[in-house]
Amino acid sequence: MKAAPFAYVRPGSVTEVLSELSRDGAKVIAGGQSLVPVLAMRLAQPTTLVDINAVEELHTLRTELSGVRLGAAVRQRTAQRDPAIAEVPLLGMALPWIGHREIRSRGTICGSLAHADPAAELPAVAICLEATLTIASPKGERTVDAVDFFTAAMTTTVQPEELITSVYFPRATETQGFGFAEIARRHGDFALAGVAIRVDAKDRMRPSARITCFGISDIPRVRDVSEQLSDALSKDGPDAPEARLRTALAAAAEELAADVVDTGGDDHGSQAYRRQLITALASRELARAYAKAVRASSHTDEEKA
Amino acid sequence: MSTPRTVSHTGHDDLVAVEFTVNGTTVSLKVPARMTLSDALRDNLGLTGTHIGCEHGVCGMCTILIDGDASRACLLFACQLDGAQITTVEGLGKPDDLHPLQESFGRHHGLQCGFCTPGFLMSSYDLLDHEPDIRREDLPEELSGVICRCTGYRNIIDAVDDVATNHRDGLPGPKNCGQRTLTGRSPVGSTAAADESTAASDTVQDSAPEKISMPSGEPTIAIDVTTLLESPPQDVARVFANIQLLARCLPGAELTEELGGNWYRGRARVALGPIKLSFNGFAHLLEHKSDRMHVLGQAKDTGGGRAQAEIHLLAVPEGTGTRLQAEARVYLVGRIAGFGRSLAGDVSRRMFEDFAKAVDQAARGEEPEVGSKPPSAFGILVGAMRDRIRSVRDLRRKAPGRQANNPHEER
Repeated sequence: MKAAPFAYVRPGSVTEVLSELSRDGAKVIAGGQSLVPVLAMRLAQPTTLVDINAVEELHTLRTELSGVRLGAAVRQRTAQRDPAIAEVPLLGMALPWIGHREIRSRGTICGSLAHADPAAELPAVAICLEATLTIASPKGERTVDAVDFFTAAMTTTVQPEELITSVYFPRATETQGFGFAEIARRHGDFALAGVAIRVDAKDRMRPSARITCFGISDIPRVRDVSEQLSDALSKDGPDAPEARLRTALAAAAEELAADVVDTGGDDHGSQAYRRQLITALASRELARAYAKAVRASSHTDEEKA
Repeated sequence: MSTPRTVSHTGHDDLVAVEFTVNGTTVSLKVPARMTLSDALRDNLGLTGTHIGCEHGVCGMCTILIDGDASRACLLFACQLDGAQITTVEGLGKPDDLHPLQESFGRHHGLQCGFCTPGFLMSSYDLLDHEPDIRREDLPEELSGVICRCTGYRNIIDAVDDVATNHRDGLPGPKNCGQRTLTGRSPVGSTAAADESTAASDTVQDSAPEKISMPSGEPTIAIDVTTLLESPPQDVARVFANIQLLARCLPGAELTEELGGNWYRGRARVALGPIKLSFNGFAHLLEHKSDRMHVLGQAKDTGGGRAQAEIHLLAVPEGTGTRLQAEARVYLVGRIAGFGRSLAGDVSRRMFEDFAKAVDQAARGEEPEVGSKPPSAFGILVGAMRDRIRSVRDLRRKAPGRQANNPHEER
């Protein structure tokens, strides 16, 4: 189907974008990879589309003191190719899962966050890594932690007259390991269930671990699972084989799944099925992420020695 | 990546100006903001190789390259592409010089119904261009952005893997990117959004153009034919001198106005079965001598198609008669370009044969038959079909046993 008619404007500065957004029914378009299908199906009929692609500063991707900042118009594929992505390994792991190459060529990082699809990868990554979003409005700028940003399915704290200008991901430390996995009917489709994981093995027997699950509720669900991981480690110690650790984590993962999966399910997977997926993915990826964190921190130890 | 120019607030009934490059040709368009790139490519520029399936980014039929990266043309509004370099499947290869991917798809039978082929070609081009070291086992996942309704994935994977294996050091670039004329299709049957738009470039004026400039790319049809006429050169020269008479020798053609300075207005009608074309346009004689002519022609079909032609005619003595030689480069754009290439060539060649016969008649002082009953291409087509049937028959005759089983073929 075709989009309903709309007015169009492509301003050259953030100030102009904000003044255009003050019109009733205006909507930002960056990559459009989530928005255009919605327009094509006439699920949305904004009066004006404000295209932000001519705003030079929104295309910047730069490494800052302790992390990486990505402007609102930075495309997912541009980010994948940028060497700075190595500073944020979990983002690098998640990006290939977003749609297909054809989608990532145009889709933007901030656009995916703004769209806040419950089955999307980037909101989960942003929450897991404690990213922060910078939002501009006619009154000035504000910063929001990702964990407070998503309020409901496809709903965020961004107001109609506001514009997300950038997202900031903290740089990974030398003792961190990450995990990412999802299950979809076909690669690139919306996830039935997925997990994003960050483990810090500075203290090997008492690591800190954080998991975000998506596709299983109206917003990504984040949990601190440090205690469960420490418990699992208490049996075999930090050098246990990955498979054994995974088994040791099974009960904790099942409990986690029961806690976070509250979707009613759909044609492609019931609530029970999604719980099974989360159980399997969480235990496997948590064990892997821990192993990576241990390897990473022992490299650092060797370097220091 | 190119940053587009700014656009001030444009009302939802207004058109947005956009300029981008498609397969090496710069294009300026005015489109409704809501018009997708896929529609603009197909309807405004006549590039119907980009297919449209789901129109919301799931099926991948409309995959094209933007600044070298594969993208969904249905998930982009054409007005957003300002300053972009676009490559469509038309830019990938030429009929006689296919891109290795196209060649491989054919060899491995990776086409089946062909509907998804443009999407697969452009998606796999992007993949191999950026990841020449791709492993075969990763291909299904990496090519998952395009759906084949025939489920012919096995052959498609074979085709892409073959090209990957043979081009680890780099995939050859698109082979058909050069200046050419791009004109839209007729709005009949197209989308509402297409009807609202106008192509700002390359529209044929109703007043005579200042000059006819031929596209530099490969012509749709190239003709080089020689016919022997019974009439001696001096009689043929008399026909050459009389432009009105010469025009009457052309099947279906008619000169309607002499504009001076070797410019003529005219029309030509061609009917091929249900297809009826009526061209109105201009001819410009760059060279007009008793034994040679160099003509440029440009015409618009009422159905939205467009034809341009460059013709060299040469009449040289041979024995007591004349050898008439014609070289023509014909460019067809729009609906008419959808004709089977060989059929268009066959028709054109037969037209020339009829033309040569008519010149011979005119040289003898008779009224050329062909000019008196336009549109005569109906007969031309029958002639072309007859030739084809004959050549098929000749082939069959070579197969032993055929003849006896089918006595009707023996006449």
